[in-house]
Amino acid sequence: MTSPSRTISSAGVYLGLAVGAVITLVPFGLGLLTSFTSARQFSTESPLSLPTPPTLANYTGLADAGFGRALVVTALMTAVILLGQLVFSVLAAYAFARLEFPGRDALFWVYVATLMVPATVTVVPLYLMMAEVGLRNTFWALVLPFMFGSPYAIFLLREYFRTIPADLIRAARVDGASTLDVIVHVVLPASRPILVTLALITVVSQWNNFMWPLVITSGSDWRVLTVATAGLQSRYDGQWTLVMAATTVAIVPLIVAFVALGRHIVSSIVVTGIK
Amino acid sequence: MAFNDWVKLRRARQTALGYALLAPSLFGVVAFLLLPMLVVAWLSLQRWDLLAPIEYVGLSNWRSVLTDSSFGTSLVVTVLFIAMVVPVQTVLGLFAAAMLARGLPGSGAFRTLYVLPWICSPLAIAVLWRWILAPTDGAVGTVLGQRIEWLTDPDLALPVVSAVTVWTNVGYVTLFFLAGILAIPADVQNAARTDGATAWQRFRHITLPMLRPTLFFVLVTGIVSAAQVFDTVYALTGGGPRGRTDLVAHRIYAEAFGAAAVGRAAVMAVVLFVLLVGVTLAQHFYFRRRISYDLT
Repeated sequence: MTSPSRTISSAGVYLGLAVGAVITLVPFGLGLLTSFTSARQFSTESPLSLPTPPTLANYTGLADAGFGRALVVTALMTAVILLGQLVFSVLAAYAFARLEFPGRDALFWVYVATLMVPATVTVVPLYLMMAEVGLRNTFWALVLPFMFGSPYAIFLLREYFRTIPADLIRAARVDGASTLDVIVHVVLPASRPILVTLALITVVSQWNNFMWPLVITSGSDWRVLTVATAGLQSRYDGQWTLVMAATTVAIVPLIVAFVALGRHIVSSIVVTGIK
Repeated sequence: MAFNDWVKLRRARQTALGYALLAPSLFGVVAFLLLPMLVVAWLSLQRWDLLAPIEYVGLSNWRSVLTDSSFGTSLVVTVLFIAMVVPVQTVLGLFAAAMLARGLPGSGAFRTLYVLPWICSPLAIAVLWRWILAPTDGAVGTVLGQRIEWLTDPDLALPVVSAVTVWTNVGYVTLFFLAGILAIPADVQNAARTDGATAWQRFRHITLPMLRPTLFFVLVTGIVSAAQVFDTVYALTGGGPRGRTDLVAHRIYAEAFGAAAVGRAAVMAVVLFVLLVGVTLAQHFYFRRRISYDLT
């Protein structure tokens, strides 16, 4: 049906969507352009003039400010937490979904109840605990609180694992498969969409984590990207070309991963409803 | 082996296996979620400056926090922040979702685009906006040709911090409304259309009522996450000017790691926890009562 009024309102919808897109993209675009502008051009010309010529000086400046190491630490931290969370969450979710043992349901409700514990509240006591065991300013302090699985991931995986037909698991059992075989060869392949979603959400939240690394690390040894960016901004307040290069480095890897992993991820965020 | 023994053995093995699989995550839950809750309650009764030995001081932290105006100010600022962020991001998200739900070609790309700010580091986003809003060499000032102290004017700072938060969250909120709208059965809409209902009437009397569970979810999660915003404030204003943007998460941080008054920070953390649990439980009971809609 293409009545004139419908065409006009389609145009209106596109106009609205385009306005939204411009408002979303322009700040990113401006930051990106500024990161390729020389400090000299930025201070002598209009801050919004196109970089002529574009320069990588700000990015090499970041390397001098220790951003290379921050990038490596962030990637390593994210990888260790991701691996730990996926493995341990899968094991726990399998036990909750597929095994019967005394105390199972009570424990599950304890896990669910911890969903209400906000990170803001645990930062202060965790700092004390890490200080007491002498782990302040170590790599382990960065990853330990997050790497043993997340109650939310366990909750979602349990729901998912329960939908896997029991016959599938029984058949593997009859063929002599151990529990680990069943998890690796039956359960995991059947759960790929939810695993990809959980992986993406873990990467996003850990890569972006700021408050915990800020309080538990000091100096440059275990500084992550967010902390390095905040430090750079306060140390070189006003050197915006350098600072915009830092925000670009913090932001772009995630945008690339997000866009590359495709649109189906977007809809599964809704299923999981996490941040 | 008798059948009974076999059953018993099987049960014992399953129990052992169950606990073996749970062991790592159980350690995580106990050590990094439950224990900290006990420690924070205990810390609220101690004096600690991050260095000297911890000293028991009874309820004096509670007295000082609850009588001193900085925490009260911070709670008020947080409530104002929530009151600005949550309604605005909800309305804009609903509006964007209604446009995307038309299913015009390219809608998927717009949807992905709108979520981008939400997946980015809030800290980096805040630093980006700090430049955009910088009075002398920022983007907005250059375009307007006018110097405006967006982040240091006491009347502007909180609305501006709220606006940046809304900019970050709208795409995420949109996803939920879009899913909610698409879940509404098409024949309900078609029947209304046959009866001559206008687009606005259909939105007002069908879409909106049927979105109530989504709306409620978006409002409650919006409140809970807005109540914990830290990175944005840290990088945009540092809580200033004169405490006008000192959201409660930032106050807790500043109290513990800026002022080295860890006991007071623990009191604030306990209060924040109680308030957030209250909101979450309210949501839970509300949902239990109205999870479904009778369409007959």
